[in-house]
Amino acid sequence: MYKTMILAFGLSGALALAGAGRALADSPWTGGDSLPTNPLACDNTPGTAAAMPYDGGQPTGAPDLKGKKITVVDVPKLIGIGYFNATSKGIADAAKELGNVDVKTDGPTKANIDEQITFLDNYITSGVNGILFAANDPVAIAPVLKKALGKGIHVVGYDANSTPDAREWFVNQAQFNGIAKAMVDNMAKEIGEDGSFAIVTSTFTTPNQARWISEMAAYQAKCHPKMKWLETVEAQEDNILSFNQANTLINKYGDDLKGIFGMTSVATPASADAVTQSGKCGKIAVVGLATPNAMKPYVAKDCVKSVVLWNPIDLGYAAMYVLRAAADGDLKPGATSVKAGKLGELQIINGSEVLLGAPFIFTKDNINNFDF
Amino acid sequence: MSLTRLLRHETILAVLLAAALIVLAGQSDKFFTTDNLLNQGRLMAEVGLVALPMTFIIVTGGIDLSVGSIFGLAAILLGVFWKNLGFPLPVAMIAAVLVGGIGGLVNGVIITRFRVPPLIATLATLALYRGLAEGISQARSVRGYPDWFFVFGQGELLGVPSQLWLLVILAIAAAVMLGLTTFGRTVYAIGSNETAARFSGLHVDRAKMVIYGCSGLVAGLAGVIFVSRVSTTRSDMGTGLELDVITAVVLGGTSIFGGRGTIIGTALGLALMQALKDGLSLSGVKGDGTIVVIGLVLIAAVLIGNLLSRNGDG
Repeated sequence: MYKTMILAFGLSGALALAGAGRALADSPWTGGDSLPTNPLACDNTPGTAAAMPYDGGQPTGAPDLKGKKITVVDVPKLIGIGYFNATSKGIADAAKELGNVDVKTDGPTKANIDEQITFLDNYITSGVNGILFAANDPVAIAPVLKKALGKGIHVVGYDANSTPDAREWFVNQAQFNGIAKAMVDNMAKEIGEDGSFAIVTSTFTTPNQARWISEMAAYQAKCHPKMKWLETVEAQEDNILSFNQANTLINKYGDDLKGIFGMTSVATPASADAVTQSGKCGKIAVVGLATPNAMKPYVAKDCVKSVVLWNPIDLGYAAMYVLRAAADGDLKPGATSVKAGKLGELQIINGSEVLLGAPFIFTKDNINNFDF
Repeated sequence: MSLTRLLRHETILAVLLAAALIVLAGQSDKFFTTDNLLNQGRLMAEVGLVALPMTFIIVTGGIDLSVGSIFGLAAILLGVFWKNLGFPLPVAMIAAVLVGGIGGLVNGVIITRFRVPPLIATLATLALYRGLAEGISQARSVRGYPDWFFVFGQGELLGVPSQLWLLVILAIAAAVMLGLTTFGRTVYAIGSNETAARFSGLHVDRAKMVIYGCSGLVAGLAGVIFVSRVSTTRSDMGTGLELDVITAVVLGGTSIFGGRGTIIGTALGLALMQALKDGLSLSGVKGDGTIVVIGLVLIAAVLIGNLLSRNGDG
């Protein structure tokens, strides 16, 4: 009797898997979100940035902090990886330049939203003046950020957004469709117009990766329709998991797999490592987002031809300046640009997003000029 | 085991808790405010709820490692039942909690019927349920719950967070059940000497099915409350929950070999852990430092427990 119970449970579980799984997929590729996409033109015409009304949230009862010393905490997705070490450095550099900011970086050691919320909650209680964040989940982080706004704390996001009304401003490293275009164009150049590829991402619900994947799907359908998407796998910004997932893809698809997209700065070097170790250097292209230092060995061996990124140090630097401007009352809803120290005037698009600039492609020719 | 020996570990724990609270309150003036303490109560409610049946399980000498996965599975199924299968939200909530109970019962069946050691059985179901959660959800999250749903996780009743009320009521019920009923006596007997309990005519298998089933049920409930607190469902929710829960229970004086433990101890252990996590963070210690301190406190508490029980109890 118990055996039949277990068999029934197992069968129903498998059926639920098959049925419900299909009902939930929105974007054509797994790992994308269901927000509207806006692919750029296939040639190099730049996209137009629409001017939209301000859609961020505002702190209630924020004290007048103009010119005064403020305490800020920076809570990235996780600490201990090169990318967020670089953004922390940018934030610290900006704080030193401004002179009246006391900033600390603290966060979970895994990219886990539950722990990130607990960190934010504790810092709200300890009474900081400002919060900088990179969200592990856009909706789950919203209640605690709204609580911060309700207590008069300034909230600015960078790298990974939350829902717009939970923060004042969001510093976007590059337009989502710009990153998508750079990634897909570089992959098409390496594997040809009818190559097949797979994607290694962080998790399917991480906001920035999900946005990029949706935009990549839209751009590929528009400009490289014959390319074939095979699979997206999750690697949660973990080195070992990314390596294992990439290896699994290589073994599963064999000769069908011509390229791997690495969507996080941890997945790309791990995928390049997997490709190198299985001897497929040159046969499987690896295109992705990564810090130049992590990719230098693979670019030197010609295993990886191009690495897409922006400058994360500049990203952190800009976020700190935006927060200071918001705390001082210099940056109000409806503004169209903001001054960010040595980066000059940054444009404000989509209502409450501050645009850092265009994505940057690192290749063999220029990668040795950078050190982060 | 006499009442005086039991009380000694809990008393030491209470003294330790009081000392920790005083030290942490001294480090940061924001720690000992009603606002902060109630907020911490809200944050520890999920771990606290799951720690209650876990106390019963560890007292019998077993363990349940799958609670985190059941938590995640219930959270995901809440979204699936509501959004994809179209159940009305209250029905979806109850169904999600019941699925947790079924998961716990499956654990119970594997442990009692097939005589698999609890560690192995729940280790296997940890992977099984997490895999089911990821597969069913395809890692999509479900959002857009109506406002009344958030009362469970974000609301308050008479100024005290709603889940804290639930935790206190269930804790009192669990304490009564463990300490004052024959079922509680059965649980202690199973932990002290299972063969003797069986031959004394106690329904050992039925008791185990009940506690593992309850563990799954409460993990499901905690999952639903967590979804209400963060207003979204994700398939990776609850990863690592089992470690926090077991730490709270063992810190509270429950012996991992079974036969010893109280709900009061678990409650004190839980409070101590949460106080340390929060107080250290408020006094400026970063995340990694807090984990080191909790590990040291756990070792210290277990050592004290061992020293005290050296009086021939075994």
